[in-house]
Amino acid sequence: MTRSRLTSRRLNSLLLAACLGLSASAALAQDVVKFGAPLPLTGPLAPEAIKQQQGYDLWAEQANKAGGISVGGKKYKVEIVYADYQSNTPRAVQTTEQMITQNNVNFLFSPFGSGAAKAGSSVSEKYKVPTIASTASSAQVYDQGYKYLFGTFTPNDTLTTPLTQIVKAKATDVKKVAILARNDLFPLAIAQEMEKSAKANGLEVVYSEKYAINTLDHSATLSQIKSLAPQWIFVTGYINDLLLVRKQMADQQIKAGVLTMIAGPAYQEFIDAAGASGENITSAAWWHPAAQYSGKDIFGTTANYVKLFRDKYKSDPDYAQASASVSGALFQMAIERAGSLDRDKVRDELARMNEMTFWGPVKFGPTGQIDSLEPPVLQLQGGKAVVLSPALIKQGEFRLGVN
Amino acid sequence: MLAAQVLINALVLGCLYACIAIGFSLVWGVLNVINLIHGSFIVLGAYLAWGLYQSLHISPWYALGIAAPAFFVLGYVIQRLILNRVITAPVLVTLTLTFGLDLILNNAMIYYFKADYRKLTLTPPMGSVSLFDVVVPIDRLIATASALALTGILYLILRRLRVGRAIIAVRLDRDAARLMGVDVNSIYAIAFGLGAALAGCAGVLMALIFPISPLTSTAYLGKAFVVCVLGGLGSVSGALAGGILLALIEGIGSALIGPAHATTLSFALLIVFLIVRPQGLLGRKGFE
Repeated sequence: MTRSRLTSRRLNSLLLAACLGLSASAALAQDVVKFGAPLPLTGPLAPEAIKQQQGYDLWAEQANKAGGISVGGKKYKVEIVYADYQSNTPRAVQTTEQMITQNNVNFLFSPFGSGAAKAGSSVSEKYKVPTIASTASSAQVYDQGYKYLFGTFTPNDTLTTPLTQIVKAKATDVKKVAILARNDLFPLAIAQEMEKSAKANGLEVVYSEKYAINTLDHSATLSQIKSLAPQWIFVTGYINDLLLVRKQMADQQIKAGVLTMIAGPAYQEFIDAAGASGENITSAAWWHPAAQYSGKDIFGTTANYVKLFRDKYKSDPDYAQASASVSGALFQMAIERAGSLDRDKVRDELARMNEMTFWGPVKFGPTGQIDSLEPPVLQLQGGKAVVLSPALIKQGEFRLGVN
Repeated sequence: MLAAQVLINALVLGCLYACIAIGFSLVWGVLNVINLIHGSFIVLGAYLAWGLYQSLHISPWYALGIAAPAFFVLGYVIQRLILNRVITAPVLVTLTLTFGLDLILNNAMIYYFKADYRKLTLTPPMGSVSLFDVVVPIDRLIATASALALTGILYLILRRLRVGRAIIAVRLDRDAARLMGVDVNSIYAIAFGLGAALAGCAGVLMALIFPISPLTSTAYLGKAFVVCVLGGLGSVSGALAGGILLALIEGIGSALIGPAHATTLSFALLIVFLIVRPQGLLGRKGFE
């Protein structure tokens, strides 16, 4: 009898404990904000996806270290749900939808690049999920009349115009420009903007061609450019293309007053690999660790962001990683200001955002694309990237001559 | 002068292409295996040269002496332990197997070296030589000479050595070679080892010229494939002819119609060759 009473007591306490456990876990489950990040974690875009993931993870770690996101006096932990769309854009769209309908994410980060971000945005708009695109610069991504899409990259012309103005002002001998672009969405778009910008500033574009993806040799193209004797050579592509072009320029003894490469010199691995041959190469990027902004986001200053990144990953962040981190930080600010996880309220807070961050000033234009940021113009000087503009974060003067 | 520069560029590049392709051609010609791991072998060779130079300051020219035996052993072992089990299966089976092996090796390199691009920069740089305004970089010239030397060595092995004659015999008629007492399995492994050694050496030479990353393996493989079809399978001189033809087409095409279409032009030529002359420039008709 006693035994059975004891057993029943034990059972009761077990049931009670189980109920408490359940309710605790239910409370825990509720105290999480889920962010969906569809990324090309495998396939040709995998290196870029890893950078994105590093940026998101760093933000999530910092937010959680501070107790989480504060929503109406209650702290919510950040959880990022990743899914691999294998560098396949149609799959990115499916993955985005899956994250909303099956993973029940509260908010979204766009898939990588302008093309996939545009494709994915139709889904997030349909479900009215606020989405931040951290790697989409093309204006065509944002001119769809969507209300829930925001982007941290300014349009491509904001990279080329300040550069042209600096060259025009400081290198008056530059009259002829040769443009060589990788036949790929972003590099081609930048080259087209450069052509417009050069013509608008009275420069003669003597050569404008594109090279195929996976080109192993540029010697014939460079021989042709050399024969046209341009004073400014402007090359777009990814690190391997730009390293190869620079090496082959040196091989063929091609000299120019100005050599611009987008986006290689914004990356430390380009600076390391190019060595002395990188000297005086100019570039432009949306952000650079040398920038010195003091913001109101979770990271505070640019220097603090760079320090936290170095501590975690033992390398310097570039604009792709920083953009991912600031996207998270912006969501955090918008949610905290809204005091709610309601998607429409958070969307409205993002739309009225006008704040300084470690990334720079953030204010989204009517289309959702950031319009407050002045991307830095950089030049490699003494093995380091030096900011030439904007004036707010300028570190050095433009130098002429690339040998 | 531009024409002369384009021509010289193409000749030098052609020899490098031949160097990339020759091991691939040997394996395809002798084993009837389309070796998809070839591009990754080249990249691994490039990492070997880079690592030896960065950590031990061993010049890439000496690295050739390390790469050749190391890759021969690697190729020999892979053939004996893995590929040999399906060597008589239809070509699709060996193709799939080498595809799988390539995925493993390539992803292992991405894991270990990361996908970052690295560059082997000699200090001091070797510079260039110029003659009547035609400029040729010295590292490319030496790489070209080394590529020609490797091609010559392979030619001599195949023509003069007993093992080379056995490889040729197996290539011509496997069953007849077996009846003559040739250990066909051993010859397969040696041929695969030689192919890997040539890929490793090509990688060492390419490290001097091209950025190094596991992601470049497909570009090397693509070039090797086109060179083989243009030049003819299993033929040493064919690889050289195919390499130079491909580089000429790309160089002239790039200068005349723009670099974006140079690759299209080379692949159009590939299709023409497949239709009109499937055995390639110097290949033998009817040989599988």
